[in-house]
Amino acid sequence: MDNKMGVELQFESALAHRTASDNLSIAMREISERGMIDLRGLASDKKFMSAVKSVLGFDLPKAPRTSASWGDMKALWLSSDQWLILCTRSKTTALLAELTAALGKIHSLAVDVSDMRAILRLEGEGTRETLMKGSTLDLISDDYKPGTVRRMRFAEIAALLHVVEENVIDIYVFRSYAEYTWAFLTKAARKGAEVRLFRK
Amino acid sequence: MLVVTCPICNASGDETDFHYGGQAHVRRPATADPLNITDEEQRDYLFIRHNPKGLHFERWRCDRGCGKWFHAARDTVTMEFKATYGITELPPVELMKEAKGPWADYFKMRMKEKA
Amino acid sequence: MSTKPYRLAEGGSRIDRSRKVTFSFDGKDISGFAGDTLASAVLASGQKLFGRSFKYHRPRGLVGLGSEEMNALIGVGVGSRHEPNLRATQIEIFDGLAAESQNRWPSLKYDIGAINSKFSRFLPAGFYYKTFMWPKSFWKHVYEPFIRKAAGLGKAPEGRDPDMYEHMHVHADVIIIGGGLAGLTAAEAAASTGVKVLLCDENPVLGGIADLTAGMIDGECVEAYTTAAAARLAAKSNVHILTRTTVVGHFHHNYLMAFERVGDHDPAILASGAPKHRLWKIRADKVVVATGALERPIAFANNDRPNIMLASAVRGLLDRYGVTPGSNGVVFTNNDDAYLTAFALKKAGVNVRIVDSRSRSDGTLVKRAIAAGIDVQLSSVISAVEGTVGVTAVKIAAYRKGQGRVITEKRVDCDFIAMSGGWNPALHIWCHNGGKIQFDDRLQSFRPKSHTDNIVAIGAANGTMSVEATLAEAQTLAKKTKTFKVEEPSRGALESLWFAPATGKYNEGNKHFIDFQNDVTAADLELAQREGYESVEHTKRYTTFGMATDQGKTSNLNGLGVISEATGKTIPEIGVTTFRPPYTPYSFGSIAGSLTNDLFLPIRRTPIFEWHMEHGAVFEPVGQWRRSYTYPQASEDKHQAINREILCVRNKVGLLDASTLGKIEIKGPDAAEFLDRIYTNTFSTLKVGKCRYGLMMNELGFLTDDGVTVRLAEDHFIMHTTSGGADRIGAWLEEWLQTEWTQYKVFVTPVTEQWAQFAVAGPRARDVLSKLSPDFDISNEAFPHMSFRQGLIGGYPVRVYRISFSGELSYEVATPANFGQGLWNAIMEAGDEFGLSAYGTEALHVLRAEKGYIVVGDESDGTVTPIDVGLEGMVSKKKPDFIGKRSLEQSFLKGPNRKQLVGLFTADPTEVLPDGAYAVAQAKDKPPMEMIGQVTSTYMSPTLGRSIAMALIENGRARMGEVISFPLEGGKVMKATITDTVFYDKEGGRIHG
Repeated sequence: MDNKMGVELQFESALAHRTASDNLSIAMREISERGMIDLRGLASDKKFMSAVKSVLGFDLPKAPRTSASWGDMKALWLSSDQWLILCTRSKTTALLAELTAALGKIHSLAVDVSDMRAILRLEGEGTRETLMKGSTLDLISDDYKPGTVRRMRFAEIAALLHVVEENVIDIYVFRSYAEYTWAFLTKAARKGAEVRLFRK
Repeated sequence: MLVVTCPICNASGDETDFHYGGQAHVRRPATADPLNITDEEQRDYLFIRHNPKGLHFERWRCDRGCGKWFHAARDTVTMEFKATYGITELPPVELMKEAKGPWADYFKMRMKEKA
Repeated sequence: MSTKPYRLAEGGSRIDRSRKVTFSFDGKDISGFAGDTLASAVLASGQKLFGRSFKYHRPRGLVGLGSEEMNALIGVGVGSRHEPNLRATQIEIFDGLAAESQNRWPSLKYDIGAINSKFSRFLPAGFYYKTFMWPKSFWKHVYEPFIRKAAGLGKAPEGRDPDMYEHMHVHADVIIIGGGLAGLTAAEAAASTGVKVLLCDENPVLGGIADLTAGMIDGECVEAYTTAAAARLAAKSNVHILTRTTVVGHFHHNYLMAFERVGDHDPAILASGAPKHRLWKIRADKVVVATGALERPIAFANNDRPNIMLASAVRGLLDRYGVTPGSNGVVFTNNDDAYLTAFALKKAGVNVRIVDSRSRSDGTLVKRAIAAGIDVQLSSVISAVEGTVGVTAVKIAAYRKGQGRVITEKRVDCDFIAMSGGWNPALHIWCHNGGKIQFDDRLQSFRPKSHTDNIVAIGAANGTMSVEATLAEAQTLAKKTKTFKVEEPSRGALESLWFAPATGKYNEGNKHFIDFQNDVTAADLELAQREGYESVEHTKRYTTFGMATDQGKTSNLNGLGVISEATGKTIPEIGVTTFRPPYTPYSFGSIAGSLTNDLFLPIRRTPIFEWHMEHGAVFEPVGQWRRSYTYPQASEDKHQAINREILCVRNKVGLLDASTLGKIEIKGPDAAEFLDRIYTNTFSTLKVGKCRYGLMMNELGFLTDDGVTVRLAEDHFIMHTTSGGADRIGAWLEEWLQTEWTQYKVFVTPVTEQWAQFAVAGPRARDVLSKLSPDFDISNEAFPHMSFRQGLIGGYPVRVYRISFSGELSYEVATPANFGQGLWNAIMEAGDEFGLSAYGTEALHVLRAEKGYIVVGDESDGTVTPIDVGLEGMVSKKKPDFIGKRSLEQSFLKGPNRKQLVGLFTADPTEVLPDGAYAVAQAKDKPPMEMIGQVTSTYMSPTLGRSIAMALIENGRARMGEVISFPLEGGKVMKATITDTVFYDKEGGRIHG
C-alpha cells in the first residue's frame, strides 16, 4: 500500500497470517479490504439525517437491527444514535472528510474505525448453526433475515453480526479478539461436528 | 438465566447480554444542588436500597446490544418482567399503584411532585 | 445349563443376536450383542456383582433399568479417557469398550473396605460429625485421607482429556422432556399446530417404557403406537428430536440444560470429529414435562443384595435383552403393576411367585395371575434375605399394616427378587425452578401442583398412570383432540409399604436400605428423628439421604415414609427435600465445552503481538491482554533484561507497545463541561492541541482511573484510560450521559483498538522520529511537552502525543492498527543507530516509580483517595460538582490517620522490600503487631543503583525521615526510611529535553 510520500507502507490485518483449515464444514475468511466509519448522531435530528444522506446517497436505517445499502456502501444500525458505515477501505478517508464537512456544526461524531474490528466472513450451509455454538440467539429464526444486524455476545466476547445473505454471515469482533474468534470458529465448524436444527 | 427485552432496540436476549444496574430511581443529590447535601442524603444515595419480595424497579443496560440504559419492573419472586420503560421515565401508573413498601412511598412522592 | 445361563434362547427387542460385541469388565473379556447395555451383557454373562457400596462396601448389583440406577456405577475408558460413575444401565456396549467397577480394593470380590460393614454399628448416621471431631489436628492428617480413600465413588481420569466437547444453543416454542407415550403424543399434538417442537429423551430409543406397558391403542400394542408416532415425528421439519439427551435442569424463564451423549456409544462417531458430549442450552416458550415415573424399591431386610431389582427392571431385561437375573424369582409388591413382571417371567419359563403386602386387589392382573396358576401370597412380606453376593433364599412372613416386627416366617429358595413399592412421578425438572407439588393418596407419592412458569406435566410425570388418561392429557397442546380406542387392565389400589418388618425393629440387626447409593438405612433415618433432626432438610444433611446423583429418585418417598412412621406425622406434613439440578450428573467436559486450551480465556493481542513472540517476550496478563513484560536476550535473565531496558530509556531511547491503553473519542458542545464533571481536575480550560493528565474518582471519592486527555478541537477530545479501565470507563461515561446528565450534547465513541500506540521514550527519542521525516515540526519549541500533533511519520498516518510516563523526553505515537507493525518496524530500524531497544511493562513500571508516578490499582486499591496519594492539588476546589466530590468532603476521608503515599529507602540498598509487605508501629517477636501501612510498589532501580519503594503509611507525609519496620515471614525485619516519592530528576528537567 502506497502513501503520499511514495513509501511502501506495511499493511497487516489482524488475521493476515491465517488461512482457513481445510477440515471445515463451512467457508471462513477474513475481510480486510473494508473501511468502517462509526457515526454518532440523533436519528430525530432532521439536519443530521439529511446531511448524512447527502453524502451517502441513501437514508440511514432507523429501524433497530437493520441495514441499508447503496452501491458499495452500507450503513448498519448499531443504536438509536449510532451507525457503522461500510465502504471500500481505500475510500474511507475521503468519505470521512465528506461526512465531516457535510455535518459541520451539527451535533455528531464520525470516526474512522476501519482498523478497530476484524471481519470474518462465514459462508455455506450450516453457518447459522455453527454460530449458535457460541451465541444464545435464535439465528435460525425469521428474526435473522438477510440485512439483519445485531450486536451480541459471542463465545465470551462482544461481536457484531451482519446477515449478508441466507447462508453468508459477517462477524465483526474487536481486532484483539480476532485470533480467539478464528480459533473458536475453527473448532466449532470442524467437519464431523455439524449440527442441523429443524432441517432435514 | 433471565430473558430481557430492551425497549429501545426491541431485542431479546439472555441476561448476560445485558448489564444489571441496580435499583432504579436513585436520585443523585449533587446534580440538583451540589453545595447543600447532608451526610444522610449522601448516605442514602450511595448505600440505601430497597430489597422487596415481589415488585421491584431496576436499571438495566442493553450492554451487548444497542448500549442504551432502561428501566424495568420485575417481580423478584416469579422473575417476571412486568414492564420496561425509559431511563428518564417513571413506571406505568398501574405498576406505581401496585408497588408496596418504600416503593409505594417513593412513587407517591414523585406523583405529588408532578402534580 | 449352558455357558450363558442368564441369556434366554430367544427374545430381546433391543438386541441383534447376529452381531456379537466383545468388551472388557474389570479386565475380563465379556461378549454381548449389539444393542445390549453393559448391565444386560454383564448380567447375561452370569455376573451379578457390579460394585461396592459407598460407606459399608457392601456388594451391590443392578437395581434399575435406566437413569435411576444407583448401585451399578461404572468407570468407562482408560487413562485420560476414563469417565467414572456412569450407570451400567445406560452404557451401550461396543467392541473394545473397557469398563471397570468402582469403590473396591483390591478387587470387586475381595474388598478390604467391606470390614466397614462389620463395624457398621460404629458408623451410624452422622458418623463423620460424631467420630472425627477430636483431636483437631487429626482431621487433616489422619481422618480425612482415610475417609477420602475408603469412601467416594469412581476415580478421576489421568491426564488431559483428548476428546472434544461443545455447547449448542437452541430455541423452541415447545420443549418436550421425555419421549415416552405421553411425550410422543404431546409432541405430535404440538407439532400439528405448526410450532417448533424440541423433543429430548435420555434413551437411545424413543418410547419410554411403552414396551413394558400393558394395553392396546386402536387395536395395537402400546409400543407399536409409540414406534409409529416416533417415525411420524422424525419426518416433520418443525420437530427436532434429541436422543441420548438428558434434560438435566430447568431454570428461570424456561431456560433448560440438556446433556447429549454424542459419541459415547460408538467410537466411529468420535473418530469422525464429533464431540463426545454436547451441552444444549435451551430456551422454550413452553415446557412439557413428560419424564414418566420411577419405580420405588421396598425397604425390607437386606434389600440391597445383588439380584434384588425393581420389577420394571426385571421386565425390561427380559423383554429388551432376553436376559433373566435367575431361574427362580420372587416378585414382591404392594401394587398391581409388578404382576406384569411375573407374567413376563412365566412366559420366559422362569419360576416365579408373588408376595403382595396387600390383603386384596380387584385388579384384572391379580385375577389373571391367580388364574394362570402363579403362587400369589397376599398379606405377606419378605422379612429376610439369605445370601451375600446374591440371593439364595427369602423368608416370607404374614403382614398386616402397622405391624412392628415379625414372629414367624417361612423360608423359600430363590435366586432373585423383583420388587415394586409403587411409582413416583419424576418431579425433578418440575421442581428445579420452584414448581409446587402435592401428595397424592392414590399414588402414595407426590405429583405436580402449580408452577409460575409456562410449564405443564403430563402422563406418569403428572401422576396419570393409565394409558387412556395419558393420551387425553398429552393432547392439551393440540388444536383438535384425537380420540383413541384404548383397552387396558383395570388396576387395584396400591397400599403404601414404607418398611417391611423383620424379626428385629428398625435399629436391630438387619439393614433396610432406603438410599442405596449413600448407604442410608431406615434405622439411620429413625435415629436422626430420635436425635432431634425434625426438619427433613436437616435429616437429609445429617444422614446424606437423597444426596449425590440419586437426588431422591429411588430413595425419597421411602425415606419420607420411614420418617412418617417414626414421627407419626403424615408425609405432606414432613414435606420433601429440594430437588436440585442436575437430574443426572453430566460431564465436566460438557460444562467446559469448547472453551479449553487456547479458548479457555479470550486472550487479546495487540497488533505487535507476533513481533513480541518472535523477539522472546515474556508476557504478563493485563486484563485479557497479554503485554510484553520484558524481552530477555540470549544470555540474560529477566532481571538483567529489565535493567538493560530501563537504562536504555534513561540513557538512549526505548520503544514500548502501549496499544492497550484505553482511547475514547468525546465530542459535542458540552464535552468540556462533561469532562469537568468526570475528572477531579478541570478540562474546560485546556487549550486545543494540548494534553492534560486527569484523575477520576468514583462516587465514593476513591480513585478509579487516570490518564491523559487531549483536546483535538474546541468540542472534541480524546481520552486515554488505563489498559484495564478502557471498557469500564467507556461504559461509565455512557452511563452518566444517558442516566444523569441527559441534557448534555456529547457523543462518546471508544476507539481503543483502532490505534496501535507506541511510546518512544528517552533522550534520543526526537532523533529517532526525526529520522522518519515527520511532516510536521517536532522541535522542542514547536512541539513542547504535553502537546499534540497529527501528520505522517515514516509515511504512516499518526497522532503524536508528547507525554511521558518515564520522566524522559517521550512521544506516544499512534497509527491505525493495521499499520502498527509497519510503523513499529520503521521506528526500530530508524532507532538502531541511537541504540533503541524495545522495553516491556516491567521497565515501564520501574521508570514511572523512579519518578513517583502512581499506577491506579497498585498505589490505589479502591479505598484510596487522590489526597491519600498526594494529588490533592489535582482535586478542583472551584468546580461545584464532579463525581466523588461530595463523598471526598467527609471528615474521615481527610483525617491525619489516613494512609498516605510516601517513598521508602531500605536500610540496605541492595535489599528490595516484598510487594505488599506490612509496616508496623513496632516490630515484635510474634503477632499481633499494630499495622500502619503497606508497600504498594517496590523495585530495584538500576538508575539509582539501589532499591526504591512506595507505600501507603498512616500519616506518612508527616513522618519524613522516620525509619519504619517491615516484619517478614520467618522473623526477619526490614527497616526503611520514609522519603519523598520522587526518586529521580526531582526538578523534572529531562521531560522537557
